[in-house]
Amino acid sequence: MNSATVNPVETVLRDELARADRALGGVAPVLGHVLAGSGHSLVSDAVVARVRGMLNDLAGQFVERLAAQAGEEAADKMIDFASVDALADQLANDAPILATLHATAMEGLLTERLDQRSNVDPVLSPLMQELIASQDAATGETAMQALAAQSRFMQGQRRMQQPVLELSSETLERALRIWVRATPVENEPRVTQAMRQLKAEYDEAQTRTGLFARLVSSMRSGVVAALELQHAGLAIFVSALASQSGQSRERAILACHDDQAARLAVSLRAVGLDAEAIERQFVALDPAVRLPRGFEDVSTDNARAMLQDSLSQVHQSAGR
Amino acid sequence: MESQASLLAARGLTDERDRLLTADDPLADLQKRCGGTLPGTLAVPELLEVVRHGRRMGLRIARDFEAFDGDSLISGVLRVHPIDPDQGGGCELLIENWQSRAVPEAGTRELAQRLDEIDRACAEVIVRLDGEQRVQLVQSSAADTAELRDALAQAVGSPWTDHVELEGMAHRQPMHWRLLDGARCRVAGSKRDWRARLLPLGSEPNAPRGFELLLVADYPLDVGVLEQEAPGLEESHTQLVGGALTPVLRQPIARIIANAETIRTRLAGPLRAEYSEYAGNIAAAGQHLNALLDDLADIEVVEAEDFSTEREPVDLGDVARRAGGILGVRARAKNIELVIPIGDNLPMASGEFRRVLQILINLIGNAIAYSPENSVVTIAPALGEAEGTIGLTVSDEGPGIDEEQAARVFNKFERLGRDSDGGSGLGLYISSRLAQAMDGSLEVLNAGEEGATFQLRLPVHTSD
Repeated sequence: MNSATVNPVETVLRDELARADRALGGVAPVLGHVLAGSGHSLVSDAVVARVRGMLNDLAGQFVERLAAQAGEEAADKMIDFASVDALADQLANDAPILATLHATAMEGLLTERLDQRSNVDPVLSPLMQELIASQDAATGETAMQALAAQSRFMQGQRRMQQPVLELSSETLERALRIWVRATPVENEPRVTQAMRQLKAEYDEAQTRTGLFARLVSSMRSGVVAALELQHAGLAIFVSALASQSGQSRERAILACHDDQAARLAVSLRAVGLDAEAIERQFVALDPAVRLPRGFEDVSTDNARAMLQDSLSQVHQSAGR
Repeated sequence: MESQASLLAARGLTDERDRLLTADDPLADLQKRCGGTLPGTLAVPELLEVVRHGRRMGLRIARDFEAFDGDSLISGVLRVHPIDPDQGGGCELLIENWQSRAVPEAGTRELAQRLDEIDRACAEVIVRLDGEQRVQLVQSSAADTAELRDALAQAVGSPWTDHVELEGMAHRQPMHWRLLDGARCRVAGSKRDWRARLLPLGSEPNAPRGFELLLVADYPLDVGVLEQEAPGLEESHTQLVGGALTPVLRQPIARIIANAETIRTRLAGPLRAEYSEYAGNIAAAGQHLNALLDDLADIEVVEAEDFSTEREPVDLGDVARRAGGILGVRARAKNIELVIPIGDNLPMASGEFRRVLQILINLIGNAIAYSPENSVVTIAPALGEAEGTIGLTVSDEGPGIDEEQAARVFNKFERLGRDSDGGSGLGLYISSRLAQAMDGSLEVLNAGEEGATFQLRLPVHTSD
C-alpha cells in the first residue's frame, strides 16, 4: 500500500474502531465477572477504582516530569489535567500495563484482607522481623529496605498511587514508550531529557518487588519459611512462590485470590509443600476453601507439569 | 550507600556487543564452563538474555536467574547497570546470592530425550537406515566425512557397519541396535574420534521401522574458524593449572564455599556465634583459593612462550574512565573519590585494549584497597618522559611504598606483608608482565614517599 495515499484520518478512525471493538468485546465477560463474584471478585469495584487511580497517578508523574524539564516552576504550578487524562487513557489501552496494575491492586487488597481475617501484619511479618535481625548484615539491610518499601506500598495503595520508579522494568519500558508516543513533537527534546533522568534514577533492584526477590534469593534453602503465609506475610510469600514455581509474581498474586484456589494449590504442591501445609495457607486466605479429596496423591512433578501446561496455554492464547 | 559486601558474589563488565570484558572469579568460571572465553561474548544464555534486555532498555534491572554450568545449577540475582553509550556503552553486572546446587534428578526418560536432541544437533553425519540397519540415505556436512559419505552413497542397501571401523567390537556386525548405540568408531578420511548413535524410528522400540544413525565427533573439525570469528583471543595451549588443575579444583572449592556460607548464615538452623564465624573464615579461605587459581591460570598465560598481545590504538583516557567506572561502587563504599583529569587529546597508545584495562583495574583496585577512607585516588596522564611513549599514573593517599619494597613489589607472590585483603600477590606481577608484553613498562614512581604512585608506560601508536 502506498502510504502517501492513506488519509491520516483513516488511520485514526481505524484505531478508534479497533479500540471500540475491544471495548465491546470486553463488556460481557467483565460484567459477568462482576455479577458472578462475591464481594471479592477478581474485578470488583475496589479493584477498578484502584487501577484507575494508579493509572492517573502514573500519568500525572510523567506530565510533572516533563513540566519540570521545561523549568515551569512557580509560573504554572498548575497541573495540565487534560494531558494527564489523555496519557492515563493511553496507558489504560495497554493490556500488559493493565494486568500489572491489576495484580498490584489485588496484592494491596489481599494484604488488607489477610490483616483483617488472619491478623497478618501487612508490613512487618514475623519472617521480616527475623530477616531484619539476621546475622548477615547485608541481608538485614536489604530486609530493612524491603520493609520501608512495603510500608510505602501499603500507604500508596490506600491513596491509589503507583510510583513510576516502583514499576518492573518491562512495565516501565512500555509506559515510557507510550509516554513518548503521546507527547507532541515539539516537546521531544524535553521528553528525551526527562526520560534520561528517569532512567538514571531507576534501579529495579531497589524497587519493592526487586528487594523482595533479592531477599528471597538470599534465603537460599531457607526459602521454605517464606512459603508460610501467617509467618511470612503476603508480599514475601508471593515473591517466594513466584521464584520457586517459575511463575511471574503477578500470577502468584492472583493465585492467592479465592477464584484461583486451584492454581494456588497446584503451585504450592509444585514447590514441594505437603497437603497439610497447603491447607494452612488456605485457612489463612479463605477458610471456606477445601482441598479436593485425594489431593495429597498429586505428585510434585505432576503439579509442576500442570503448571507448565497452564502457562504455555496462556502464552499461546496471548500470541494469537 | 550500598553495603552488600556479603550478598554480592561477582561483578563483571560487558561491552556494547555483550562481550564479557572482565569478571570476578565465579562469573569468569561460569563463563568458561559454558564454553565462553574471557573476554568473549557472554556465553551463559540466561545471563546474556537479561544483559541484552537491560542494555536495550537502558534501564537498571534485576532478575533471578538459573544457569547450568555442566555440573551444578547456579542461581542468584543478576543486576544489570547499563553504561551510557556516550561512555562506551555496555553494562556493569552485579550478581548477588550466588548459589550452586546439585542438579535435581531429571526423569531418565527426559534426560535421554535431551541427550538425543543434543546429539541430533551436533551430528555431522546423519544416515537413515532401514529396520535391518541398512543404509538408505546419507547426509553429511563436514569435509573430513566426504569419503564416508561417498562410500555410503555407493553402498545403499548394505549394513552401515561395513563402512566404519567400530572400536572394540570384533563381533559379526550388525549387532542389535541397543548394543551399537553409543559405540565409538573411526571414519576413513577423518582424524577425529566419532561416536555412533542409533535412534529407532517408529513407535515400537522393539521392532523399529528404521533408524536414524548419527555420527558425532569429539570436537569440531576446524577450530581455526572459531578463532577467526573472535580475533584477539589467545589460542589455547597446554596449561597445567589453567587447563588441568583449575577445572578439577573449582568444583570442590565452590562446594566448600557454598556449604560454609550455608553454615555461616545459619540457614540450616541455629548455631553458636563462634561456629558461624569459623564457617565465615572457611568461606573466605575458599574464596581466596579460588582467586589464587584464577591468578595462577593468568600467570600461565602471560608466562607462556607464545604469549603475545595485539597492537591496536588504545585511548588511555577512555580505558581509565572505564576502569574508574567499573570500580566506582567499590570506591564509593570507602568514600574514596576517583579523579580522572584526562582530556580527549591524548595521543593513542599502542597495545591491547582489554590488557590495558586489566592492568588499570588492578592498579586502581590496589589503590582503593590500600587507601584510607575519605581519600582521593588520581589517575593522570604522564607525557614526554621518554620519547615515543605515553603513560598513565595511578596515585593514592595510602601508606606508600619504600625503596626496599619497591624493589620487590612486582615479584611473584609479593604481598609486602599485607595480608588483610586476601589478595594473591600475583596481580602486580601479572600486570607488569602484561605491560612488558606490550613493549611498555610498569613501575613505582615515588618510592619512599607518602602515597604510592604507579606508572604504566606504553609506546605511542604509529599508523604504519
